Amino acid sequence: MLEIRWHSRAGQGAVTGAKGLADVVSTTGKHVQAFAFYGSAKRGAAMTAYNRVDDKVILNHEKYMSPDYVLVIDPALVYVADITANEKENTTYIITTHLSTEELIASQPKLAGKKVYTVDCIKISQETIGKAIPNTPMLGALMKVSGMYDMDFFKENMIRVLKKLPQKIIDANMIAIQRAYDEVK
Amino acid sequence: MADTMELRDIEVWDGNMAASHALRQAQVDVVAAYPITPSTPIVENYANFTANGYVDGEFVMTESEHGAMSCCIGAAAAGGRVATATSSQGFALMVETLYSASGMRLPIVLNVVNRALGAPLNVNGDHSDMYLGRDSGWIQLDAYCPQEAYDMNFIAFRVTEDHDVRLPAIVNQDGFMTSHTAQGVKTLSDEVAYKFVGEYKPMNDMLDLDHPVTHGVQTEEDWHFEHKARQQHALMTIVIPKIEAAFADFEKLTGRKYNIVETYNMEDAEVAVVCMGTSVETAREVAVEMREQHGIKAGVIGIRVFRPWPLQQIAAALKDVKAVGLLDRSSPHGAMGTLYNEVSGALFNTDTKAVLTNYIYGLGGRDLTKAHLTAIFKELKANADAGKPTTPLQQYIGLRGPKLSFF
Amino acid sequence: MEKKGWDGFEIGAMLRSFDGATQDIATTLPENRPYSQSNSFTASVADWRIEKPLFNKEYCIDCQFCWIYCPDMSIISRDKKMVGIDFDHCKGCGICVQVCPTNPKSLLMFPEQKDEEAALAEWPKKEKKADAEVKED
Repeated sequence: MLEIRWHSRAGQGAVTGAKGLADVVSTTGKHVQAFAFYGSAKRGAAMTAYNRVDDKVILNHEKYMSPDYVLVIDPALVYVADITANEKENTTYIITTHLSTEELIASQPKLAGKKVYTVDCIKISQETIGKAIPNTPMLGALMKVSGMYDMDFFKENMIRVLKKLPQKIIDANMIAIQRAYDEVK
Repeated sequence: MADTMELRDIEVWDGNMAASHALRQAQVDVVAAYPITPSTPIVENYANFTANGYVDGEFVMTESEHGAMSCCIGAAAAGGRVATATSSQGFALMVETLYSASGMRLPIVLNVVNRALGAPLNVNGDHSDMYLGRDSGWIQLDAYCPQEAYDMNFIAFRVTEDHDVRLPAIVNQDGFMTSHTAQGVKTLSDEVAYKFVGEYKPMNDMLDLDHPVTHGVQTEEDWHFEHKARQQHALMTIVIPKIEAAFADFEKLTGRKYNIVETYNMEDAEVAVVCMGTSVETAREVAVEMREQHGIKAGVIGIRVFRPWPLQQIAAALKDVKAVGLLDRSSPHGAMGTLYNEVSGALFNTDTKAVLTNYIYGLGGRDLTKAHLTAIFKELKANADAGKPTTPLQQYIGLRGPKLSFF
Repeated sequence: MEKKGWDGFEIGAMLRSFDGATQDIATTLPENRPYSQSNSFTASVADWRIEKPLFNKEYCIDCQFCWIYCPDMSIISRDKKMVGIDFDHCKGCGICVQVCPTNPKSLLMFPEQKDEEAALAEWPKKEKKADAEVKED
């Protein structure tokens, strides 16, 4: 069982990102689950979304998760959200920030000694899609760090997932995904 | 003629999306709705399908849930295939009309995305609304995951519209835990799905102008009792066999097998939990772990058909078990939980001497973790070994503060 | 109406207006309609009456007021002509008499046992209006 926790702000697209990832993974025959903690949360409130991936049917519906990957798509959440909650020894963190990994760890010492990758999904999405929607670039970074799928396969499926959007936006998302893949460190 | 939609064999859908596609594929004539979280996307998606030409029927936006169900009753009496969705306080507002729908023997499919009842206001999942409807005369099916939310809608149409049944049906799914959780859903093509549900066959419909009928009459002590008795007779003797027949046909079509009472690892189980919704699946996983890691012969019973209450099937499924935990996701408010009471009733006149204990959990969406279930199974094992309760009869699980228990 | 047991009637407290199929019910006269036993047409409320309305054709102008106002559809009218009263369903409320505009009235209430011919024989004459009498003087 592979488990992923997203830290996001309501409106940044973590739910869409988690469902999109689930959709892509599902096409390979694996079983998937994507959900989120909702409430009467307003746009901008900190929230979490979750993915589970397994070779067997996923029966576990508990919200508790000890994640393999933690994806943080809003830079401030590193300091205000409990992003290391229920972590495992080898939990991998991919964090959106303008800082380098070293600078980030220096600014948030509880990440010291952990597997931490950084990528500026906010900047990438602003420069490609035209607004700060960091969900799809984070998936590009996840593909690089996890080696889950090769980029051609992933992008081809993401085009299908995003098919209701205007072509221009889909193209911009593909560039964002590729840039995050190339830029994550 | 409505446009058909090409679906992949497996779509990654949440429970709401799955239910709305099932309604689309059933080609409902009238959906009258007043959206409420977490069931909103069902009717929102359906309105979208209707607006985009994927449905031939009418979508009616009403002024309240009471109005929505009233409109459904009118449309069903007129002679159309009818469905809607609601949750929580909206369901509570529908209650008055639910009794009219069942008493008038009108086939309506209602998706209830289970959510807590306030106060305090809460949008998350528990079974308070499901329990509120339990004496309303509706058939109640329960789905544990998005796949089942899809499948149970087809079963519901088949059963509710059967001329021997003609009782409305609720399809329950857990708010958020199913309704907003995307999982792989094996789809049916539009053609196959519609064929399974079948062409709507009207009965006593008001639009049959050659056979005028009066619906919604008044009866006093001279007739009321007989009508209610006839309804109970249908619920108690006709519905379960019809659901079983629909399950059998559905298995032939899809390979997916459903049962009135779902049993998992029960063949040799010494202890078992009985529950509904997503908890059934989590408990299944924990039961396997109890066997592999703790040497406890644990099993799980899921209530698939909550109404009519499958008294004999429950008794049969639990006959060899030594301790049973009844897990109620609703505040009983001054009583033992519903599953405790009803399972006790099912076992009381049998030879089974199982120790029964009641757990109240998950109110307002509070997480039921695998750790909670592991602890419950261990307590049940202690009860089984002692041959009597070793814990209070009703315990609260996952609650902050001092341990809360009764009796 | 026969009080059947719980298993002896159609479901849903649904009542049929007619036995079997009907076509063009609007143009079929009530006495020719196949009313079912559960239709109120087959029930008589004649014994509710203490007084009954009687109809005097001589003064009727066929305005149809009585037909419109009768709460029990007990005024029998054919081709917009008043022809009589359905005494199976008339409860003797007297509304038809109240709304009758003729002078004298074409409908009057009489004791239930009153003979129709005797009633017609003693029907009141046209009342003169008070102010008209003054002018004549």
